[in-house]
Amino acid sequence: MSSLFRNMAAALTGGSGVSLLYLMIVLPAVLALFTVLISHKSFVARSFCYLTATVINFLLAIFLFIGDEATMLFPWADFEINLAFRVYDFSSWILLALASFALLVGIYSVSFLRKKEYYGQFYCFYLLTLAMANGAVLANNLVVLLFFWEGLMVTLLGMIIIGNKQKPATAVKALVLNGIADLLLMLGVVATAYQAGTFMMDGLADLPIEGIGVLGFLCMMAGAIGKAGSMPFHSWIPDAANDAPLPFMAILPAAFEKILGIYLLVRITFDFYAMIPGSIMSIVVMTIGAVTIVLAVAMTLIQKDMKKLLSYHAISQVGYMILGIGTALPVGIIGGLFHMINHVIYKCCLFLTAGAVEKQTGTTDLKKISGLGKFMPLTTICFLIAALSISGVPPFNGFFSKELVFDAALESGIIFYIAAVLGAFLTAASFLKLGHAAFFGSVHLPENVKQSDLREAPGAMLLPMGVLALGCIVFGVWNKLPLSVIQPLIGDYDYSGWPHSMILVAISCIVLLLAIGNHIFGYKRTGEGLKAIDHIHYAPVLHQIYNGAEKHYFDPYDILMVLVKAFAWICFGIDRVINWCYDVLFVKIVVGATVFLRNINNGSASRYMLWSFSGLAFIVLLCLFLI
Amino acid sequence: MEGQGFLLACIFVPLIGSLLLPLFNRINAGFRNVMALLFVLTAFVSSAMLLNPALNGEPVYLHWQLPLGLSIGFLADGLAVFMAMTSSLVAAIIVFYSFGYIEHYKHQNEYYLMVVLFIGAMMGLVFSTNLICIYMFWEISAICCWRLIGFYRSKTVVLKADKAFLVTVGGALLMLIGFVAIYGQTGTFDLMELQGTALDNWIMVLILFGILSKSATLPLHTWLPDAGVAPSPVTSLLHAAVLVKIGVYVFARLFLVNFQLDVIWETVVPIIAAVSALVSAGAALVENDIKRIIAYSTISQLAFILLGLSSGVMIGVAGGLLYILMHSLAKGGLFLCAGIVEHNTHTKDIREMGGLVKVLPITTISFALCAFSVMGIPPFGGFFAKFMVIDAALIGGSPWLAGVFIIGAIMTVIYLLRVFVKVFFGQITHQDIKEGTWEMVSSVAILGVLSLLGGIFINIPTQLTSFIVENLGRW
Repeated sequence: MSSLFRNMAAALTGGSGVSLLYLMIVLPAVLALFTVLISHKSFVARSFCYLTATVINFLLAIFLFIGDEATMLFPWADFEINLAFRVYDFSSWILLALASFALLVGIYSVSFLRKKEYYGQFYCFYLLTLAMANGAVLANNLVVLLFFWEGLMVTLLGMIIIGNKQKPATAVKALVLNGIADLLLMLGVVATAYQAGTFMMDGLADLPIEGIGVLGFLCMMAGAIGKAGSMPFHSWIPDAANDAPLPFMAILPAAFEKILGIYLLVRITFDFYAMIPGSIMSIVVMTIGAVTIVLAVAMTLIQKDMKKLLSYHAISQVGYMILGIGTALPVGIIGGLFHMINHVIYKCCLFLTAGAVEKQTGTTDLKKISGLGKFMPLTTICFLIAALSISGVPPFNGFFSKELVFDAALESGIIFYIAAVLGAFLTAASFLKLGHAAFFGSVHLPENVKQSDLREAPGAMLLPMGVLALGCIVFGVWNKLPLSVIQPLIGDYDYSGWPHSMILVAISCIVLLLAIGNHIFGYKRTGEGLKAIDHIHYAPVLHQIYNGAEKHYFDPYDILMVLVKAFAWICFGIDRVINWCYDVLFVKIVVGATVFLRNINNGSASRYMLWSFSGLAFIVLLCLFLI
Repeated sequence: MEGQGFLLACIFVPLIGSLLLPLFNRINAGFRNVMALLFVLTAFVSSAMLLNPALNGEPVYLHWQLPLGLSIGFLADGLAVFMAMTSSLVAAIIVFYSFGYIEHYKHQNEYYLMVVLFIGAMMGLVFSTNLICIYMFWEISAICCWRLIGFYRSKTVVLKADKAFLVTVGGALLMLIGFVAIYGQTGTFDLMELQGTALDNWIMVLILFGILSKSATLPLHTWLPDAGVAPSPVTSLLHAAVLVKIGVYVFARLFLVNFQLDVIWETVVPIIAAVSALVSAGAALVENDIKRIIAYSTISQLAFILLGLSSGVMIGVAGGLLYILMHSLAKGGLFLCAGIVEHNTHTKDIREMGGLVKVLPITTISFALCAFSVMGIPPFGGFFAKFMVIDAALIGGSPWLAGVFIIGAIMTVIYLLRVFVKVFFGQITHQDIKEGTWEMVSSVAILGVLSLLGGIFINIPTQLTSFIVENLGRW
């Protein structure tokens, strides 16, 4: 079978995979233009164009995945800024992941966006995003990487803003936070290239993190985790959950950004720089990961909206990946990568179920909906599988990757392990709440939706959810399949099969049981699934902290904006002072001088005599002095 | 020989042609407009024809010797052709846009005369190889800019035009003292003979006054935001095509090509640029007048250009030159878009605008394309320029300098996004307006698309910039 593909690829490309490389970028970009150029009345033609692009992209990705390593180089700008691409085992795997999710979410979004006026623009931005993401992964030159990486900002802005043109605040927030991360990445690229003496990525190997390398490493890392949506670059994601079209959430924050961010983080820590386990940099990265896990998951407890709750999980889960990779241990990096792919599968699935709920009931507000399980059984099953995965229940995929991260965290420091386990507890607790509130319990629907009208989501939406749910099971039960791809990237290791450390598994299971106990306790106390973790929300000190968080006191974006405003006013003040010099001070000096000169030339003969004589005296004295 | 014809045509067709424009108006106003555009296009085409000789290493050169060591000379080397093409291209688009913008105003004769004369002066300055010629063309441009800023004639407007004139001429006079001092030391104003001369620091300070006042760099910058009272195509011309670019061009011409400087200026100029970039970016974030915001943005971006040119590193100089091109295209587009918005809504206050994407879709997209380019986001042209300049700041300066400019770049993203979103998104304030005339809309669309293509096909402009940089003979 694989040789058949190989032959087809060879036939298509004339022997090498090289020309496929730029097709991965050019094809989606060109078809993106078609989707907006075709008449806006023709939903079918546009959607066909859109789906064709995702399907071809998927096929190309398969060819590249099966094919051999290939590189290509076009001269572009000078100074070694060449269009250099390289596909090898790591990048081809990442490309395949991107292409698979692009295809699944693509199918879903056609059905989801059917009645929305902005669907054409969404298709266009979606395909452009795909082209840029492919380019970023294929890049073999730091500047080309930056080119495609930052280019994603444009489509990000576009996709958020088309959903809600009246309230653009979220789009601004997203672009500013991403812009900061990307510009830091630019600084990092510059510093890294300066240290290495080249822009070519395959020319960078295990640079030491010292001197200018510290700047390069930290800034590049900021760019990578900023894209992945880690703290402190996270706070636009929950806002986007409210304002952006749902397929956007499923494809960008849940899938593409995680894949790209973690891909780059691994390249930085493992490829470009030599991060040593236990070094200061390693601890910095792990701390970011651990803090992200705990704080973001804590915020999920108080969310009353399905999309928003999921978006906080999207932040929290990236903490596990960063923690795993930050350990710089093989088990941690493999665990981080494995968790990344697992996360994308289940989080994408969860967002898609939320979309199905939104499509059928018109809302994802958990106060308005409950007991949907009866009406949407297939959606509920998909949700359950994905929720069990993210909570780390064996034998679903999330369990296995989390165990690897736990293993690495424990080896690096007990505090990181505790943070990770606390995160797992709260994740399970919040999903018990979410599942219970949305799909079980007594039936409760928004006023404009009748029970008799409510039915299962359309097939085109169920298919991607089903495939992803199946993925959760396959990657769990048969974890050798993904790990056999990931492990060779890092070295000769084998972590497939059941986790090695039984003690850690036991602790994880106890944590899960505790979460269930906690849920039952909360449910008994309040009688509502939605309020099952209110006892944590309203606990003495936590209550005040949560209140502050809800008022955005801790939002890094808001804090930053206050600082920026203050700085701007200082600058404005300086500018006004300078302007005052021109508009007032210089004018006053000139006017004062004229008045003075006019006054001394007042026409009085005696005064002119005085001037003449004193002038004469001055000249005489000067002559005497000079002689 | 025909190369010399192109060189003369490039300078003197707009310079002399401009004076004929009021006569053409006797025939027909439309004829005058078309001729104005034609004169500017002549400059563009001629300068393009000079490109090949320049790239072949045989630049077209004209020279007349006069007594007392004076001379008149024009040289079309790579740098000059690059600047002339950039300026005349953007200027041609701006003139085309003016057909729609200016048609309802009085004094159109003066308008077209001044605009074309302005471009002629720019062409003359760009090709001149004589310090006195440079100074003369410099002052012609100051007079044109004074008349054009004061185009609307009201008292406050005239005051602001006077301010622009006084500041730039004040700087130019100091620069003239510097030129005379050079003459005193060497006995010539001819740059070809001055090649490689070391310059005293006090002369450098005097010349820098002229350059910084023309290029609106802190603390000589405040006339530029005030010049926003001019008609929008004029502001666009000042910011994008001619006026502020004169300063940075002369910086490149004198200090990169001709004179040798003390190494200290590779530290001092970037620091001035850094302060200028930050302060103006901050001011842009506070202002509410759309044209003032974009004007402060120009001051901030000029600092990036100055940083690149003064970095003393090859990639920085190339980045600075690319920046001139990309900034011209994008900033020209931004002002022209602002002109359409201002024309239709009759306000310049961004707090009174909103949701215009519904009524001005093409302007919105063009504004977005240009704004992304100024922000330095790929795939737009500004990205490469910004990247190269930042790279040079780190290589030639220090990580701190690069960091400061990264902050400047972040501020750029914030303030341009603020304008974009406030004007074109949010609650709709103006329901019953429509796009500008087709000339105006197509002009902004062309500039937006050029900003995009400039990024994707960056290999085309970099061929020229790299050629210029490699032939500087400094490395």
